[in-house]
Amino acid sequence: MSSASGEQPGHPLFEDYQTLPGTFDEFYEPSGELRPQVRSVVEQLDRIGKREFARRRKVADANFFKGGVTFAVYSDQRGSEKIFPFDLIPRIIPASDWRRVETGLKQRVTALNAFLTDVYGDQRAIAEGVVPAFMVEGASGYLRQLRGVRPPKGVYIHIAGIDLIREPDGTFVVLEDNARTPSGVSYVLENRTVMKRVYPRIFRDAGVRGVEEYPVRLRKALAAVRPESTDEHHAVVLTPGSFNSAYFEHGFLARRMGCDLVEGRDLFVDDDRVYAKTTRGPARVDVIYRRIDDAFLDPEVFNPSSVLGVPGLVRAYAKGNVALANAIGNGVADDKGIYPFVPDLIRFYLGEDPILGQVTTYVCARDDDRAYVMENLDKLVVKAVNEAGGYGMLVGPKATKKQHAEFAERIRSNPRNYIAQPLIELSTCPTSVSGHVEPRRVDLRPYVVTGDQPWVLPGGLTRVALVKGSYVVNSSQGGGSKDTWILAKR
Amino acid sequence: MISRVAESCFWLSRYSERADTLARLIDVNLAFILDVDLPAEQHWLPLVTVVGEGERFAELVGASADPDTTQGYLVWDERNPTSLSNSIYWARENARTIRETISLEMWEAINDLWHWLQSDESREIYKDDAHAFFAHVTSASMLFHGLCLTTMSHDEAFDFMRLGTALERAQQVARIMDVKYHSLGPTGPGPETSLESAQWLAILRSCSAVESFHKRSASSFDGPSVAAFLALDVTFPRSIRHNVERALNFLSRIQDAGGLQGRTSEAEVILEDLRVVLAGHDKASLVAAGLHEMLTEIVNQVANASAAVERQFFSSAVLSEDGATQTQ
Repeated sequence: MSSASGEQPGHPLFEDYQTLPGTFDEFYEPSGELRPQVRSVVEQLDRIGKREFARRRKVADANFFKGGVTFAVYSDQRGSEKIFPFDLIPRIIPASDWRRVETGLKQRVTALNAFLTDVYGDQRAIAEGVVPAFMVEGASGYLRQLRGVRPPKGVYIHIAGIDLIREPDGTFVVLEDNARTPSGVSYVLENRTVMKRVYPRIFRDAGVRGVEEYPVRLRKALAAVRPESTDEHHAVVLTPGSFNSAYFEHGFLARRMGCDLVEGRDLFVDDDRVYAKTTRGPARVDVIYRRIDDAFLDPEVFNPSSVLGVPGLVRAYAKGNVALANAIGNGVADDKGIYPFVPDLIRFYLGEDPILGQVTTYVCARDDDRAYVMENLDKLVVKAVNEAGGYGMLVGPKATKKQHAEFAERIRSNPRNYIAQPLIELSTCPTSVSGHVEPRRVDLRPYVVTGDQPWVLPGGLTRVALVKGSYVVNSSQGGGSKDTWILAKR
Repeated sequence: MISRVAESCFWLSRYSERADTLARLIDVNLAFILDVDLPAEQHWLPLVTVVGEGERFAELVGASADPDTTQGYLVWDERNPTSLSNSIYWARENARTIRETISLEMWEAINDLWHWLQSDESREIYKDDAHAFFAHVTSASMLFHGLCLTTMSHDEAFDFMRLGTALERAQQVARIMDVKYHSLGPTGPGPETSLESAQWLAILRSCSAVESFHKRSASSFDGPSVAAFLALDVTFPRSIRHNVERALNFLSRIQDAGGLQGRTSEAEVILEDLRVVLAGHDKASLVAAGLHEMLTEIVNQVANASAAVERQFFSSAVLSEDGATQTQ
C-alpha cells in the first residue's frame, strides 16, 4: 500500500490487514471476516481511519510524556529514560473467553498456593508421587530452611502473574507462572489512562471493564494478611532502590496505595519485629509488599553481601511478626521444572480438572523426554528452568546447528535445568508498525491478587513482539505493550 | 515520614540553594573584578575561602593559581565538594531517590539543569558569555523553588525542603558577607574607601538585594548599613534573620505535625538563641561586635542546628526505652 493513499481521510485503519496463515488472529477469522464477539468495537476503530489514527498517536505520546508515564530506566549515570513501546490498537477479549480465564486463573493460583503450603509443610505431593522429590529439591527457588514456617493467614502468592497465550484454535493456555514478584501492572493502569483520553467515545460504547481498582484491591489484600500481633496496621512497599528498572512501578503502587516506599536501609529489626525509621522515630511495620528477590532480602540468611535487604527480616517473618507479599520461597512454585506437574497438582489438591490447559512440556530430567528432546532439537523450544525474560532459551526452528549442539551439551551436563516445548504459534493482533497495521504476536499477563480470596484484574498486560516474525514478547527483547480490553457483555 | 526521604528532601533543597547562591556570587564577582584594581590572585581567592575550600584549594591547585583556574575550581572541579557542578549533581541525586515524593515538574527541572550542565552547549556558553551561563543556573534554580511551592503538597516533605532552604540560605548569606573580610579586611565604623563601597555593592547584588536595600535605607550607603540589612532585616527574603525565623517556623510545623507540640528540640534551641542574638543587634552594635566574628558564629550555629536536625529526624534507628520516639 502506498503511503500517499494511506494518508487520505476515510481510509479504514485495517483496510489492507492480512492475517498470518495457521495462526489465531485476535480480530479476524481466517476467512478475513471480523470475529463476531469483537466486531462492533473493531469496526469503530477501523472507522477512525489512518490519518486520524496517526493524529491520536501524537496525542497519546504527548500524554505519556506530560502525564509522567515515562517508564524510566535509570541504570546509567545520565539517567536516560526508556519507554516501553505502547501500541494504540487495543487487544480485545470477549466476555465469554474471559469468564473461563478468570475461573481458571483462580483455580490455578489456589492450587499453587496449596502446593507451597505442602512443600513447606508435610510434602504430601512428594510422598504420594505427584511430583518427584528431586524436582522440588532441585528447584533454585526452593528454600528448605523455610520448612515449617507458615506465612500469616496461609497466603503465599498475594500477587500472581500467570502468562497466557492462545493456541491456534483460540484457546487460552498457561505458558508460565510468576509467583514471586511479577511486574508490569503499572503499565496496565497507565496505558488505560492514556487510552481513555485517546478513545473516549469508543471506550464508552464498547463497555470495557475497568482496571482502576487494582491498587485498592492490593491494598485490601495486604491488610487482610496482617499478623494478629500488631495493634496498628502499617504496610510499606520495599524497593531495591531507584536504580532498579521497575522503580517507577514501585513508586507508582506505593503512591496509589498510600503506603510509604522504603528501601532496605529504611527498615530494621529489633526483637524480631520490623520497624521503619521515620522522622517521628521507629514505626512498627507489619506487612511488606516487597519487590526485592528472596536472595537479597536478608543478608543474615541469604546473600551476605546484599545491601538491599534487612538483616533479621527472615527471623521476624518466621516468628509471624511480619507478612511478606509475596512470601519467601515461592520460586519453587513457578519453577519451569515444576510447571509440567501443575495440572496433576490441581487434581491432587483441589480434586478438580484444570480449567486452563498448558503447553506440552518435556522434562529433560526424565530419560524418555530427554531422548525425544535430543532427537528433535530443531523443532522444539528449549528453556533453562532458572532463567526468565526470554534469556537462556533455544528456539530450535530458528537456531543454527552450532546452537543445537551447544544446547545438547548443556542438557546432557545438567538435565534438571532444562525443559522443552513445541514452538507455539502465539496468536496475533493487528498492531501499528510505522504507519501500517500488521499482525504481531501477543501474550497476556493477567494479575491475580489474593488476600482473603483470589481476585483477577479484568485486564492485564498484553505484551506484543514488535519485531516482525518474532515470538519473544519480553520488554528486554524488543517487546511492547497493548491495552487489554475485557468486554463487559456478550 | 520515612527518615531517608525527609533527609533527601532537606538536602535536595540545600544543594539546589547552594548552587543558586554560588552562581550569583561568581556572576557578580566577574563584573566586580573588572571595575576594581586588585592583584590577580585576590580576584577569586576570597570566594574559595568563604565556601570553606581554602585548604583543599591550596593543596590541589595552589594558592597562586591564575583567575581562570580558580574560577574553574569553583564551578567545575569534581574534587571540590561545594563546586557548582557537584551541588547540582547532588541535588539531582537526592531528587532521583525520592521521585515519588516530589512532583514530576520538580524532577524535570533539576534533571534538565543537570543534563544542560553536562552538555557541550553549557561549556560553550561558559566560555563565550559567562553571565548567560550563571543566569541560566539561577533561573533554573528559581524555577525549581517555584515549582516546589506550586506543584507539591505543603506537607511534611515540603516542610523539610523549606527548612533546608532556609538554613542553607542563612549560612550562604553569612559566607557571602564575609567575602569583604577576606579580600579587604575588617569592617569598622570609620570612613571607607571606594573599593570597599564597590565590594559592598557587589555583595548586595549577589543577594539580589540592591533595590530592597535602597528602599529601606535610602540615605546612607556604607558597609555597616549593608551588613545590618543583610544580617538583621526581618522582611528581606535573603536576610539571615529572616531565614533563621523561617527555619524556626518550619521546624515547629514539623514538630506539631508529629504530635510533638510543646516539646523543644535541640535545633530549635540553637536557632532560637541565634534569633535572639540577631534581634538584639543594630548597625552600630553589629560592627562593634566584630562583623567577621559574628558571621563566623552564625555559620557555625547554623551548622550545629543542621546537625541537630539530622540527629533528631534522620537517624531514628534505635528504639528508645518507651519504644516510641527517640527525641530528647
